[in-house]
Amino acid sequence: MVKISVLQHDLSSHTATRPGDPTPVSRNLNPLVHPFSRARERTRALNAAKMDRMFAKPFVGALEGHVDAVEVLAKQGDSISTVASGSWDGGIIVHNLSQRIQMAQLPQGHKGKVTGLSLVGDSRLLSCGVDCNVKLWKIGSDEPVNVFPGKYAFNSIDHQRSSSIFATASTLVQIWDETKSAPISNLTFPTSTETISSVRFNLSESSILASVGSDRTFTLYDIRTGKAERRVVMQMRANALSWSPTFPTNILLASEDHNLYTFDIRRLDAPSLIYKGHVAAVMSCDWSPTGTEFVSGGWDRTVRIWQTGQGHSPEVYHTKRMQRVTSTLFTTDARFVLSGSDDGNVRIWKGKASERLGIVTARERAAVEYRSSLVDRWKMDKEVGKVVRTRHLPKPVYTANKLKNTMLESKRVKEERRRKHTRAGESKPKPERKKVVLVEQT
Amino acid sequence: MDALIAKADATQPLSKKRKRTHPSDSKPGPSQKSDKTSASITKNTSLPTSLRSRTDKSVDAPQYKHIANPKLRRSLVQTSTHIAQSQALLSDAIHLLPSEETGFVQAEDTMERTWRLSQADIVKEAGGEAARGRLEMKLDGGPYRVRYTKNGRHMAIAGRTGHVASFDTLTGAVHSELQLGETCSDVVFLQDHSFYAVAQQKYVFIYDRDGVEIHKLKAHVSPTRLEFLPYHWLLASVGTAGYLKYQDTSTGQLVAEHRTALGACSVLAQNPQNAVLYLGHQNGCVTLWTPNLPHPAVKVLAHLGPLSSVSIDPSESGRYMATAGKDGSVKVWDCRNWKGAVREWTLRSGGKGDAEVEWSQKGVLAVGSGGSVNMYTSPSIKTPHHSSSQPPLYLTHPLPSASHRPITSLRFAPLQDILTIGHAKGTSSILVPGAGEGGMDTGEGLDLYEGVKGRREREVRGLLDKIQPDMITLDPEIVGSLAPPSNDLFSKIRSLANRPFLLEIPFARLPRAERLRVSGKADLTEELHSDAESADGSDDTKKKVDNEAQEKRKMRGKGKSLKRYLRKQRKNVIDPTAVAIRAKIEKQKAERKAEIRKAKYGDEPQEKSSALDRFKRVSKE
Repeated sequence: MVKISVLQHDLSSHTATRPGDPTPVSRNLNPLVHPFSRARERTRALNAAKMDRMFAKPFVGALEGHVDAVEVLAKQGDSISTVASGSWDGGIIVHNLSQRIQMAQLPQGHKGKVTGLSLVGDSRLLSCGVDCNVKLWKIGSDEPVNVFPGKYAFNSIDHQRSSSIFATASTLVQIWDETKSAPISNLTFPTSTETISSVRFNLSESSILASVGSDRTFTLYDIRTGKAERRVVMQMRANALSWSPTFPTNILLASEDHNLYTFDIRRLDAPSLIYKGHVAAVMSCDWSPTGTEFVSGGWDRTVRIWQTGQGHSPEVYHTKRMQRVTSTLFTTDARFVLSGSDDGNVRIWKGKASERLGIVTARERAAVEYRSSLVDRWKMDKEVGKVVRTRHLPKPVYTANKLKNTMLESKRVKEERRRKHTRAGESKPKPERKKVVLVEQT
Repeated sequence: MDALIAKADATQPLSKKRKRTHPSDSKPGPSQKSDKTSASITKNTSLPTSLRSRTDKSVDAPQYKHIANPKLRRSLVQTSTHIAQSQALLSDAIHLLPSEETGFVQAEDTMERTWRLSQADIVKEAGGEAARGRLEMKLDGGPYRVRYTKNGRHMAIAGRTGHVASFDTLTGAVHSELQLGETCSDVVFLQDHSFYAVAQQKYVFIYDRDGVEIHKLKAHVSPTRLEFLPYHWLLASVGTAGYLKYQDTSTGQLVAEHRTALGACSVLAQNPQNAVLYLGHQNGCVTLWTPNLPHPAVKVLAHLGPLSSVSIDPSESGRYMATAGKDGSVKVWDCRNWKGAVREWTLRSGGKGDAEVEWSQKGVLAVGSGGSVNMYTSPSIKTPHHSSSQPPLYLTHPLPSASHRPITSLRFAPLQDILTIGHAKGTSSILVPGAGEGGMDTGEGLDLYEGVKGRREREVRGLLDKIQPDMITLDPEIVGSLAPPSNDLFSKIRSLANRPFLLEIPFARLPRAERLRVSGKADLTEELHSDAESADGSDDTKKKVDNEAQEKRKMRGKGKSLKRYLRKQRKNVIDPTAVAIRAKIEKQKAERKAEIRKAKYGDEPQEKSSALDRFKRVSKE
């Protein structure tokens, strides 16, 4: 007797048992049932890359109020929303980012440019300016709580997070105590005759201090020993610096030569990485609190967001009206970026250009994550990679970039030819990273 | 400062930490061998990460040692390892997880023959819902063509005389029934049952589910066969003019139009795994077509006479093709290797009437010829066999009477054990146990009970995932795969070594011609020419010779004044000045020739003596 069985499907397992129930989903894992799975995935990746660019609307808003160019921005260590900005006319404004209101407005905070700001504790603000004064304000009141007179115009100020000590930069680095009217110590490298442009305390070992100056130097001080420990002279001067929040030995320098450098202070003979992308001097930089990315603003009127460890192709933000960017900040929730520019506005940008603000449902989040992993997987593909990489740049930036590349290339060619015509082995090519540091002094 | 540095030095980054070897790794003996089962379990148990083995060593992923960039290499290795692991898991899942059962016919002892079973026996055994698949439809619209939707639920029929209908096979509800009043040679469903295209006498028409004419595709002239490529949204037709045309049904554009140059064609099939179209021609050729190639990708002389049917086996990733010709033979081909058929046999009916072939999802081959349909199962028809005898029959089904002939169409219903035969008296559906795939897949639309919502959602998803037509290739896996390590590298270096001055210059600053040469994109014909010349002598002399030759060629153009004068003269008038000029040109030509010969051979010109020399006019100088 022959056994016969004919395929029968169980209707109840493939249809909803009651009206309103979701239809049961069945899966067949056999790859033959899923032809073109790779080609379809590529199409999805291409669509995902395009959608990412379509949704990229990074500009959130502008905080107005300054009459003149914004020179400096400062954030509060333990608050998401409080940010202070100081401008060239001496005005200081404390903003509340979440409500977009001004918590304090000091139109005549200083005579002349405000050069440094630092938010202290919950409600106090330190500011310094070219009028040779450091002022301590209580947010909300119009008169300073305390004024610390100095001899020279100050360029920068930074307050220790957990004590009453702060440092100022002028022709020398001075350490102050909030309770004392005169500086408690002066720090300077023995042979230096320079103007210090920026000074920052290390976030982990708070006695360590770094500064950059007009003499193309980057100096490390220790306030316990009371002297400058190391000094590095570079090819070009740095305009700003920022300590890494997660790796206490790492420091980021925004240099005049269009690049950013990260240094490990254990090895000061060469930067650990060069970040190339700006087409003019980089004026400011700030780490994200996660330490995985940082923001920089430049003389080329762009704000760029970099991934740590990836020295090229940063995210670029620009608008028609934004002028030279003098100061940038990453907010403490690592989601937003602030930029203060010559046109007198403080702008709020998203940290991730295509991120959606507001409540995101679980399904939407899953879709976004799926799309991003698809793009990540297919970014080697020619078309997908092109969509991912391409950024629209303003024409001046684009042409400047092209010109810069041409110049660098011809320089390289010239160097190569010169080497070819010298005796073999006489001049070796120098790695790019070794070119940065001229000399390291202790 | 020193404190900070000391602290920082104390904590090395994780990647630089010395890796502690796991005790089980160092153990010698059989336990060293990785166990597939445990490897598949460990990933899903909640072992701490430190105890878990980092990679499942039972899968071997490529290591990409030829790639110089370590970052890229690492990410490639990670990706390929991930893919290999998930494929191993997938194959485990396919083999181990219970899937929906498939139909079968099992003989208890060797003397029993499955082909002796009649449909009545099978229907009796199947019983219940499955028995309803056996259906005879008596229609008088002439021989019928049949087509199923992808999920096998809906069926469309098109009779020769213009009777077209589409209906739900489960409920028996008729969606539409049309009497078109002209010859209809084929019908095909588009993405689902809501649209179908009919190949009518002059053009292809698209109707919606209710039979309303939506489009008239004027580009497809006198079509004979239609196919729809579901993942590319392409409707392809071939007609009596022998043109294969692809039309994008989502945008309406005519994507490609290929002239086969092999005359009228009435055999068309698609390979569902790579979307390549197979055409069968009157001269016995089978040609494989993609939209991006203006000529066939493959051309095989399959039969000694016109083709009557082609079908591709969906069960083994489109590897096997069956062809039937009017010479009365059926052949099974291996599409990876076109050196002759794997198996061929002659039909009982001989060359009378067209034979039809069709593979089912599970690899049952149905051959319809004369008055019966024969079914064969997989292993026997795909193993090479020398004699041209018939492979062992699986099932056979004779048509009820001679008036039902000819069989014009065979279609297996997806996801069911049903074969529908289109013939002169309508259609008959028979049960073929073991023909249909058991497992449904909702995401792919292989769901017999798909609802309206699911269908709509799938349509949108399908449009979003539409693959561009120029991505159709013979090997679908080429998308996103890495180029194999080139063996050519050494040859390139060797070729560069002949010109040592090129070795130092980086690729980016080589002249364009050289860059093309190195990357293998140079025009080889020119290359060969110049190489032959440069074989003797240095580069400089070669260049000079080239320049001279070019100048010479320039001199001998049409622009020369004497020639121009002659050209302007009327040819049939004998003008003494023109005659003189002609003579002068002849003389110059001869002189030039003599010069060249002298330069080449270095001696006085020796005219080749010919028999006609005696008639030459001797000049009296």
